[in-house]
Amino acid sequence: MFKNEEMEVNLGPQHPSTHGVLRVKLRLDGETITHCRPMIGYLHRGVEKICENQTFFQGQVWTDRMDYCSAVANNLGWAEANEKLFGITVPRRAQYIRTMLNEFNRLASHLIWLATHALDIGAMTVFLYAFREREDILDMNEAFCGSRLTTTAFRIGGLREDLPPGFEKLVTKFLAKFPSCLEEYENLLSENRIWKKRTVGVAKLSAEDAIALGVTGPVLRAAGVPYDIRKAFPYAAYAEMDFEVPTKTEADTYARYLVRMEEMRQSARIIQQCMDGMPEGPVMAKLPKILRAEVNEVYHATEAPKGEIGYYLVGEKGSGNPYRFHVRAPGFINLQALPKMAEGGLIADIVAAIGTLDIVLGEIDR
Amino acid sequence: MNKLLRTLIPFDIAKGLSITGKHFAKVFFTANRRKVPFHIVSEYPEVVAKMQPRFRGRLTLLKDEQGEIKCVCCMACEKICPTQVITIEKGKKEGRKMPFPVRYDFEMERCIFCEFCVESCGFDSIILNHQFELAAYNREDFSLGMEGLEQNMFVPSPVGKFSVADD
Ligand code: SF4
Ligand code: SF4
Repeated sequence: MFKNEEMEVNLGPQHPSTHGVLRVKLRLDGETITHCRPMIGYLHRGVEKICENQTFFQGQVWTDRMDYCSAVANNLGWAEANEKLFGITVPRRAQYIRTMLNEFNRLASHLIWLATHALDIGAMTVFLYAFREREDILDMNEAFCGSRLTTTAFRIGGLREDLPPGFEKLVTKFLAKFPSCLEEYENLLSENRIWKKRTVGVAKLSAEDAIALGVTGPVLRAAGVPYDIRKAFPYAAYAEMDFEVPTKTEADTYARYLVRMEEMRQSARIIQQCMDGMPEGPVMAKLPKILRAEVNEVYHATEAPKGEIGYYLVGEKGSGNPYRFHVRAPGFINLQALPKMAEGGLIADIVAAIGTLDIVLGEIDR
Repeated sequence: MNKLLRTLIPFDIAKGLSITGKHFAKVFFTANRRKVPFHIVSEYPEVVAKMQPRFRGRLTLLKDEQGEIKCVCCMACEKICPTQVITIEKGKKEGRKMPFPVRYDFEMERCIFCEFCVESCGFDSIILNHQFELAAYNREDFSLGMEGLEQNMFVPSPVGKFSVADD
């Protein structure tokens, strides 16, 4: 006789839709997921321990390699955490440039999310268009700091160099065409019935669950909680910027898509304001030759494209290295919501659930 | 009725296709591809890829006008390198007051191109050039030093034929 038996399936670690080396252990009853556990650690490099063995100055290069899609946002958090530890005030021009680059990075990260998420669900075209715009942003990264992906963009106390000549022209050109590009993506997706069938009502995560699990970023905002660190605890030059925090209440994959699209619009607005109000002046604060911490600890949280990225640093008296370094990676904590989102759903929808969390395994495993 | 019509005629798919068609027409009807306002494809190996002035490529030792190595062995670059890929040995040379690097080894395979070494050098004796084609067949080709025929710290790597090291 036939028996009703549950089946165990491994999704990944080499599955293209898991965005890296994530293994998801699934127990299936027919096509329904009854049990889901993400298995991580395939990309562990010990970034926190490496940083503890290096000086504060050197530590920045490892933060690039955590979330490689948003390296500038990671650099910003690292630089600001250190400035908090040593009590350094950054010049205003440097703050503005940092804010601008951080928003460009948010665009790049959201574009790569849009591209891969749509590709996972089955819309190939958006992938190519989103990468076209991301290319311009990477070119700007290259013009500013010499590298496209692993930027090492900032220094403790400010920036290494001012904006290169001709940078304003690149920004203006990009901002002129970006709204029409966003419209193009929305034309392709927003009303597309396949897209809606695959996203509306899929992978729901209520606001209570999201808060209980510590989820941040667009996933939390799509559940109706208007929590954005740029507004709640302004850093860099965000206190002087005028922007909105988009929220939705549906808490499904489609709502997260809408929230991220609106966030891209707001980012473009912030960049425009940075360009208009760019103050003159130096870009580097006066620093001692070797950074030495008194015993104290800091936790500094910033809003990375994926959620709250927090750096916890403990200094040791007379030592040039951090005594303890810990990263609160948004991807790691957001991934804990995957069982809540996927259990009870269909196996085909887990791909949408992973994509909508916007995880990068380099950051989760560190 | 309206709903049935919408189910029968896939408007949304037509909308998506029209965007693709628009872009296709833009490229197709401009005979000279260079006129397309945003095409991002370049004919790379035939046309030299241009890097931005600040591009971070391979580490290169510089010489001054007399052909002397500028490095004075202050060891700042060795100390600051996050991956410890630079090894310098201090030495003396006839007719030179400043110390002279007898050995300047650079393990390129572990370099992460962060430019901290160049930033720390107070004598402007090293730069990261604009070379980006750094692949090689043998592991030894990544160990650059001051001696050796092709793989040393002064000449561009023979592997990257297309990139420019014009500074
Ligand atoms: S670029 Fe960075 S990793 Fe490479 S040699 Fe210089 S300091 Fe070391
Ligand atoms: S920092 Fe400059 S001068 Fe000092 S050892 Fe390095 S290359 Fe030579």
